[in-house]
Amino acid sequence: MIELTINGTKHKFPEGKTLLECIESTGIKIPTLCYHKALTPYGACRLCLVEITQNGRSAIQSSCTYPAINKLVVNTESEKVIKTRKVMFELLLARCPDSEAIQKLAGEYGVKETRFEKKKEDCFLCGLCVRMCRERMGISAINFINRGSKRKVCPPFDANSDVCQTCGACASICLTERIKLEEISKNEVVPIKHEYNEGLIDRPAAYIPYPQAVPNKATIDERYCVHMLKDACGVCKEFCEAEAIDYEQKEKEIELNVGAVILSPGFEIFNARIKEDLGYGNYPNVVTSLEFERILSASGPYLGKVLRPSDETEPKRIGFIQCVGSREAERDYCSSVCCMYATKEAIIAKEHAGEDLKCDIFIMDMRAFSKGFDEYYQRAQELGVDYIRCRPPSVKEIPETKNLLIEYLGEDDKKETCEYDLVVLSVGLQPPKSVKEISEKFGIDLNEFNFCKTSPFKPVESTREGIYVSGPFTEPKDIPETIMQASGASSKILSLLKDVKGSLIVPKEYPPEVDVSGQEPRIGVFVCHCGTNIAGVVNVPSVVEYAKTLPNVVYADNNLYTCSNDTQVLIKEKIKEHELNRVVVASCTPRTHEPLFRNTVREAGLNPYLFEMANIRDQCSWVHMMEPEKASEKSKDLVRMAVAKARLLDPLQKRSVSIIKSALIIGGGISGLTSATELAAQGYDVHLVEKEKELGGNVSRVHYLLNGDNPQDELKRLIEEVKKSEKIHLYTETKIENIEGSIGNFKTTISTKGKSEEFEHGVVIVATGAQEYKPKEYLYGQHEGIMTQLELEQRLSTNGDLLAATGKSVPKNIVMIQCVGSRDEERPYCSRICCSDAIKNALKIKELSPETNIYVLYRDVRTYGFRESYYTKARENGVVFMRYDEDRKPEVSNNGDGLRVEVFDQTLEMPIEISADLVILSAGIVAHKGNEEIAKFLKVPLTKEKFFLEAHMKLRPVDFATDGVYLCGLAHSAKAMDESIIQAQAAASRAATILSQDSIELEANISHVIDESCDGCAYCIEPCPYQAITLIEYMREGSVKKTVDVDETACKGCGCCMATCPKKGIFVRGFKLEQIGAQVNAAIGAQ
Amino acid sequence: MTTVKSDPTLLAEVRKYGKFDPHACYQCGSCSVACTLTTNESASFPRKIMRYILFGLRKLSLSSLDPWLCYYCGDCSTACPRETEPGETMMTLRRFLTAKYDWTGVSAKLFSSKAWQIAALIASGVFMAALIVLFHGPIVTDRVELNTFAPAHLVHQFDLTVAALVSFVLFTNIFRMYWFTMHQSNKVNPLEVIRGIAKNGLGFTMHKGNKVKIPFRLFITQAWKLILHAATQKKFLSCTNKSRWIKHFLLVTGYIIMFSLVVVFLEWFQTDEIFPVYHPQRWVGYYATVVLVWFTLEIIIGRFRKREEIHKFSDLSDWMFPVLLFLMALTGIAVHTFRYLGFPLATYYIYAIHLIIAFSWLVVIIPFGKWTHLLYRSLAVYFQAVKDKAMQLHLAKEGT
Repeated sequence: MIELTINGTKHKFPEGKTLLECIESTGIKIPTLCYHKALTPYGACRLCLVEITQNGRSAIQSSCTYPAINKLVVNTESEKVIKTRKVMFELLLARCPDSEAIQKLAGEYGVKETRFEKKKEDCFLCGLCVRMCRERMGISAINFINRGSKRKVCPPFDANSDVCQTCGACASICLTERIKLEEISKNEVVPIKHEYNEGLIDRPAAYIPYPQAVPNKATIDERYCVHMLKDACGVCKEFCEAEAIDYEQKEKEIELNVGAVILSPGFEIFNARIKEDLGYGNYPNVVTSLEFERILSASGPYLGKVLRPSDETEPKRIGFIQCVGSREAERDYCSSVCCMYATKEAIIAKEHAGEDLKCDIFIMDMRAFSKGFDEYYQRAQELGVDYIRCRPPSVKEIPETKNLLIEYLGEDDKKETCEYDLVVLSVGLQPPKSVKEISEKFGIDLNEFNFCKTSPFKPVESTREGIYVSGPFTEPKDIPETIMQASGASSKILSLLKDVKGSLIVPKEYPPEVDVSGQEPRIGVFVCHCGTNIAGVVNVPSVVEYAKTLPNVVYADNNLYTCSNDTQVLIKEKIKEHELNRVVVASCTPRTHEPLFRNTVREAGLNPYLFEMANIRDQCSWVHMMEPEKASEKSKDLVRMAVAKARLLDPLQKRSVSIIKSALIIGGGISGLTSATELAAQGYDVHLVEKEKELGGNVSRVHYLLNGDNPQDELKRLIEEVKKSEKIHLYTETKIENIEGSIGNFKTTISTKGKSEEFEHGVVIVATGAQEYKPKEYLYGQHEGIMTQLELEQRLSTNGDLLAATGKSVPKNIVMIQCVGSRDEERPYCSRICCSDAIKNALKIKELSPETNIYVLYRDVRTYGFRESYYTKARENGVVFMRYDEDRKPEVSNNGDGLRVEVFDQTLEMPIEISADLVILSAGIVAHKGNEEIAKFLKVPLTKEKFFLEAHMKLRPVDFATDGVYLCGLAHSAKAMDESIIQAQAAASRAATILSQDSIELEANISHVIDESCDGCAYCIEPCPYQAITLIEYMREGSVKKTVDVDETACKGCGCCMATCPKKGIFVRGFKLEQIGAQVNAAIGAQ
Repeated sequence: MTTVKSDPTLLAEVRKYGKFDPHACYQCGSCSVACTLTTNESASFPRKIMRYILFGLRKLSLSSLDPWLCYYCGDCSTACPRETEPGETMMTLRRFLTAKYDWTGVSAKLFSSKAWQIAALIASGVFMAALIVLFHGPIVTDRVELNTFAPAHLVHQFDLTVAALVSFVLFTNIFRMYWFTMHQSNKVNPLEVIRGIAKNGLGFTMHKGNKVKIPFRLFITQAWKLILHAATQKKFLSCTNKSRWIKHFLLVTGYIIMFSLVVVFLEWFQTDEIFPVYHPQRWVGYYATVVLVWFTLEIIIGRFRKREEIHKFSDLSDWMFPVLLFLMALTGIAVHTFRYLGFPLATYYIYAIHLIIAFSWLVVIIPFGKWTHLLYRSLAVYFQAVKDKAMQLHLAKEGT
């Protein structure tokens, strides 16, 4: 060991280090440009100068090259040092005035301008590149040549080198962006494309694949890593302070014994290069929708700025071409998601780039068929997104500007040409490339489009038992449908494996909790470096020193990574060693790491709520990286605040609620029946309540599906299963009178033909369904030839011939009118199934009577997914599709001897008259009136169209914000039968997450009423987003006392109530007023 | 605003004339965008007419000139994402319109039935053969005396008579075409015509569902287009493949020359005396036969190979046209060769065959078959020009 005196303080260091290494390890910052941890010091930039005093003589020396000698006295901040350093900065700025690295570092030292003549060089001869190539790559493809002012870096003989391996290490380390690989190497430069950013930018060989990667850890691409390929480099290992780099890691084969498999291999996007005429791959400003998604992303190649690839300028006009790789002869299916993602991208692009950005979307049919989508489409139009009905066959580039020309055909059959700065191809969804391999490996069948084969009644099952499927592997689909299907697949497995459920779980044992009541707070503070994430900006040792000065702090130290496993052991040791009874960690965010530290504290025997976190990374070092000193001060403030609160922390206990292991399912349609059988198969009791006499709901009126299957057999089987099941208690002709209670413990009162009954249950599944709209328009009810699709289907299937439909003769002409009661002002939503239903019935009619002419008058044909191929089939069978506009709806009139339909044609700009024997109205789906009552019982919200509103439209499609209540089928929104079945299975699976537990732990940080202070003003009731607060009255000392009661199972601890309370009568545990007050006082320095 | 009636039987009727698969079509517009002949000031196709047929709009379909303005380059068929072959659909519609223009009903029979086509050709051939057998002149066997076997003036007289009859049919059909397209009416009888002219003048075109009358003078001022396009077929030059224009143009020159030689100047052309090579009778004849043989052969080979969009589908009528033309030219050459070599019998026989083919051509293919495109295409360009001009004037008036 040697001893150095640095700025007046003595420090001990191991021998054999340089001065710079020693000084930096004390936390003192020394500016340097040419120093690199993995390379031998070179002393080129002269910025790391320090003043050393030895044997009474002082001198200025570059600390990176000067060895640490015992008893040396070092001054890093002396006037002489600072003055010389500033001159060095000025010299560097003069030599390379454009280098951002020099500007930045100089700026930090207060040097903004140089007094010397600017030379406009792009190299200051730091030698990083030369050393990197020689020392780490072992190649020496570049070196210094010449002397004096002619000195420069170049390959031997100033000719492109053939030994250069084009690894790019020299270029990546260069501070002035001087090094260009093309100028150095003879070999071809192949950049590594950043896969996540769709190759729009490059990436290094060691990288974190994408910001949300799970686990969020770096990986080394062995195809490019110089160390793995040539046993050189190894720089990353030297840099990683966590010592996490292990070059020896090998791919491992792991064998697992499983009872079932869920296949979710997802999809691949269509390779737009196949469509040569669209120019993708040839024109830089033609991008795929996925590339554009990355361009829009804040973590994307242009950090969220809307720029086009060719010149990185902002586009003024963007054109989206839909159905690229979808809806064509070769791939006769609709990719289901492109219309909406293009709409979303157009809206976001306008948000990012400003309203002046023009976005045109070339569509054939706008397929906004899901819940809330049509409203979104309307909004996009209001925001100025234009939809043009044409499928342009080609894109042409203007070579000079790299702008693109799209020629299209207007609805009036006139050709238009539009110039775009950027063209986005909305590429379709395809099965993954490995699909054949998957199907062979797992022994499952694929359908005609090479997606996984499923059937309408078994939508989550592959053709092989025990192998379940979810996501776009079975059909192109959006996020909510994918999530539903994934939950549905787990429901199947929950029943298949119910006997071994939980058998691999090992319960965790904790030591008994120490009682800290009455103890003086003894606080331990752990300050995290987070590698260089925090320590690169914040002076961590100074924060530790500061923490030690705070009252009640008995221990403080810093850790490289506080979240690492060894630090958890250390924290536990320190708690024991110093008898800590409060713990503060100053590191990242509680959002990701609070549970980990709470668990550590609990493992040490402390109550987990005796823990507090100070966020000095996300809210400090990351946002103040340009101002390190201020950031260090702020970190101290944050630690002080956390300590102030920690002093007042109370141990809190989580309450648990026992679960009644049965479910109430409201509705005996296909959804309710499916959920009931699923839960029964999983071993839970079910109370199935249906208001009608018969089970089956809307499906009992459906006699054939698009694919020709008859659903009645399957429905009958399902009803039989329900009736036979011992687990399912069936109540028909039954009305729900009341539901009270909450998750785990509901109590429901029902009445069956006037007879009342009551039962308890742990969860509720809402499957109340919906009904066909009863049209008021198009002379419905005034002529026997006018009927709805369901009525037509009823007639078609009873006798099986068309005679039954008219009662007279075989109808010659049939007109179907779409969007009756849908997509209008009163009901702005799409009923989703009517297009497919019309096509289904049209095909049936054509099958029965090929010479009957069928006209379908539509607004957009929304045959999403594989339904598209039936649309094709209908056209092939001679069904005529005519489009009408919302503001010029068709007119139906009765001229005595027959019906007459008039539809305005956009191309002809005149009405076409069709004489019709039958007019079929594709009536939409409307919500039941009874939904409002059920919603009130369950305290769950409805949409404005009175469908139930789930917790999150995309990510939680079967949950409510209220725990323990789930949703499926038409009660959620219009959907097809197989989609209802999937959602019903999903609801069962979600319900099972509760029912499978004996009790559930409630969060401890929730609202608590102080009865004494509460005067029952009820201000807090309305703002509660979870409807957890109720006003109660009780007798106290002879008078009525009003107060509020918190449903602890419903409360999420958001604090809305606490904020509204004028009497300090309600507060959130862990966020008491005095705790927050202490934090605020600590922040502003008051006592 | 007028309402158009949908007639669901129209599609089935059109389908009798060849491939028409618009049902695979979802009217995306790719075809019309791909078409280099479609312009905003004039006709737009193929989507528009495909919709007419699909929606059963009979009058509008019959009034459409679009099929004649299409030169079948096949770009639309390549662009179509549903593989509906709009290019071939336009071909079918040309047959349909030819059939509809023809009041005799023979075209309809020929284009919708292979049997009728073959029977008509055989019948005309047999008729001609009988005429030759019954009325041929003395057979001189020691030298070639073609004009003794078949005196040129007699053949000429016969030619002219048949040509007059054929012309009558063609001219009446042309009137029907005019009536269909300029009056949007498929009723052509004197009463209707008088009524129509009284009401709409010489014709009208449609703008946003309303009639726009065509002033008489436009028929005169635009007439030069008829001559120009008939002579040059320059519309072809707007297609992507420009080489088709020159080939077609040469073929037409060859045909017109040969047609003039055998119908108008037969007595100068069919001589027993063999003129020296520099004599115009010889090189004019050689030029015409060479281009006829060359380009008809090219068409025939193309139809066999099916490499280009235009040759993918071949109706019997599409075969008959180049094959008969080729055979006519070939037999013509043979007559000349045998005469030159001094084989009298071979000359007479092959001449008889030549006459038989030429007669079939004259009475079947010209008035009722594919030959009519020569008239209808040129007329369509003219009528469309008249309509476009009328629309231009109307829009200008509306604008002011």
